[in-house]
Amino acid sequence: MASTAADIALWHTGRATGIFSIVLLTVVIVTGVFVNRKGELAGQPKSVLTELHRNISLLALAFVLVHVLMAVVDPTVSISPAALVVPFASAYEPAWIGLGAIAFDLFTAVLITSLVRQRMGHRSWLVVHWLTYAAWPVALAHGLGTATDLHSAWELVLTWACAAAVALALGWRLVASRRALPPGQRAAALLSDADRERAAASAARRIPPPSPPGDSPAAPGWPYGPASARPTGGDDRA
Amino acid sequence: MTLSGGLTGARGGGAPGTPGTPGTPVAGLGRLLPAGAGAPAGLGRHLEEHGPPPYGDGQGLIAAVEAAGLTGRGGAAFPTHRKLRAAAGAREAGQPPVVVANGAESEPASMKDKTLLAFCPHLVLDGLQLAAGAVGAREAYLYVHRDADLSRGLRDALAERAAHCPDPVAVRLVEAPARFLAGEKTALANRISGGAALPRYGWPPVSRSGVRGAPTLVQNVETLAHIALIARHGPGWFRELGTDAEPGSMICTVHAEGGPPRVTEIAIGSPLDSVADLAIPATQAVLIGGYHGTWVPAIEAPGLPLANAALRPLGAALGAGVIAALPARRCGLAESASVARYLALESAGQCGPCLNALPRIASALAALADLRPPPETGANLLRWADLVEHRGACHHPDGTVRFVRSALVVFAHELAGHEAGRCGATDPAPFLPVPEVPPGNRDWK
Repeated sequence: MASTAADIALWHTGRATGIFSIVLLTVVIVTGVFVNRKGELAGQPKSVLTELHRNISLLALAFVLVHVLMAVVDPTVSISPAALVVPFASAYEPAWIGLGAIAFDLFTAVLITSLVRQRMGHRSWLVVHWLTYAAWPVALAHGLGTATDLHSAWELVLTWACAAAVALALGWRLVASRRALPPGQRAAALLSDADRERAAASAARRIPPPSPPGDSPAAPGWPYGPASARPTGGDDRA
Repeated sequence: MTLSGGLTGARGGGAPGTPGTPGTPVAGLGRLLPAGAGAPAGLGRHLEEHGPPPYGDGQGLIAAVEAAGLTGRGGAAFPTHRKLRAAAGAREAGQPPVVVANGAESEPASMKDKTLLAFCPHLVLDGLQLAAGAVGAREAYLYVHRDADLSRGLRDALAERAAHCPDPVAVRLVEAPARFLAGEKTALANRISGGAALPRYGWPPVSRSGVRGAPTLVQNVETLAHIALIARHGPGWFRELGTDAEPGSMICTVHAEGGPPRVTEIAIGSPLDSVADLAIPATQAVLIGGYHGTWVPAIEAPGLPLANAALRPLGAALGAGVIAALPARRCGLAESASVARYLALESAGQCGPCLNALPRIASALAALADLRPPPETGANLLRWADLVEHRGACHHPDGTVRFVRSALVVFAHELAGHEAGRCGATDPAPFLPVPEVPPGNRDWK
């Protein structure tokens, strides 16, 4: 069968969006691990990371959709529309395309449950979200198996870089979760952090301690809050 | 007839933070709380005074509650008949509902539910039985904060009923830790199901899936006591007090200088200054509703009707019926900072926005309560308040932000003073009761 320029364009689009998809999904997983562990980007509010995680996952969805659409319309190989969602139903490379279908199904489940998260229980949402950890290696295997360019170094390097990024994030998650406080103690820890920061900031401004009248908040023995939280003295602030 | 009066509660020798213990009854409206009697009402005196509860006509009772216009007295003021209808509907759909009397009074400044349970447990238990009968429930629970004295009294009351006039539905007493969020309805459902008293996402609502997945009707204990009286006296009698839109009476906890807090039954719509002495300049502001409530400047108080319709324009609501008249000699910012610190520590630590923002907000408010706060503190606080709103599974962040914002508005003059290095307060004694958040008991069970 003679390939036209349009066919070649479809083939390349399919491959390129596939590669972009795996990179974006890797970023989604890494940001997701940080969101889970309440990480933050330097100088940004914590919600920025959550927004990144959500927005990049939607971007990944766009690339995945183009990728699977190309697989169907591309005349070079014969992949039926059903094979996109039904594993191992493809005439072309049934095993590797089947893995892609599995990954597509799992990621779709994760995405839909996240879109209707307000309408479902937290635990069921969480259980489905854990499917990500199953879907991502399957997607990576699909990429390795179907890629026709694996002899080219850049594609191998990219794949292994993605794998390394997820492995590092997961390792960090395990370490961080071991250090995490139980829910009931988190607020207290954060409050003393905030008080310490405030005391340090106030000490940095080097304000001369006010000379308080007898019964003002600055007086010793003022009862609201612990003394450490009331940086009015001077020496006890560090 | 005096509108106020009722029970005075000793605040544990004046030390803030000790749970309110019910005290000596004095004259009051006398609907829910016994007038002029010093002892808790036993079953004999309860039956003598009120007669047996009229069981049998469930639909009629729901219609009577609707005609009476009774709303939930736990704080949200949701129409009670709608919750009853929903539970009865679940029964018809083949899912027998569970009924829970919620006496886990979490607002530290509120003592009305504890007092009601201590003095009139049988009125509450009548209401629980009537509600269970009306919605066809086979399981009923009485849910309270863990408190040995209160539980002993309630167990005695339940035993007395079992011995003398067995209830149609057996009632089980369930205790939760005395944490702020333990009375939240999803936390309640989790706890009664055997888990931790922690809130979850609001969906599905407990009216659909609550205690062990069953449709669950949760009513505040005072609401149930009102149901017990409406069943006996009818909606017309109930509407003799209150306003057309908000009929009936409610129990308030009134904090004012120079005495222990008073638990008092008032007609809804009574002027605020008839409930507490609010003379200016001795009083500077009134906290209405509780620690998820709103500060109202004392200048607004004279003649202000205690009804949600009148409070709404001020951004306030009756909530759990807490009324605290802050004396002019206290620092409103320091009081608010101490409450905000308590609320931050009571975050369940489950939702990121609440967990991360409330401690920062509390710390910033503490800075504003100090002299010469860093100049960006107020702006940061308001920014964090905007970020956290509507982003929790439960309403804890929203209620906390409402309280803190109202403090910054009402005590703006004080804030200006602090920035200039002055504090208008002359009395350092804490006014609002703020419990120590226990370092132990971290499993919320």
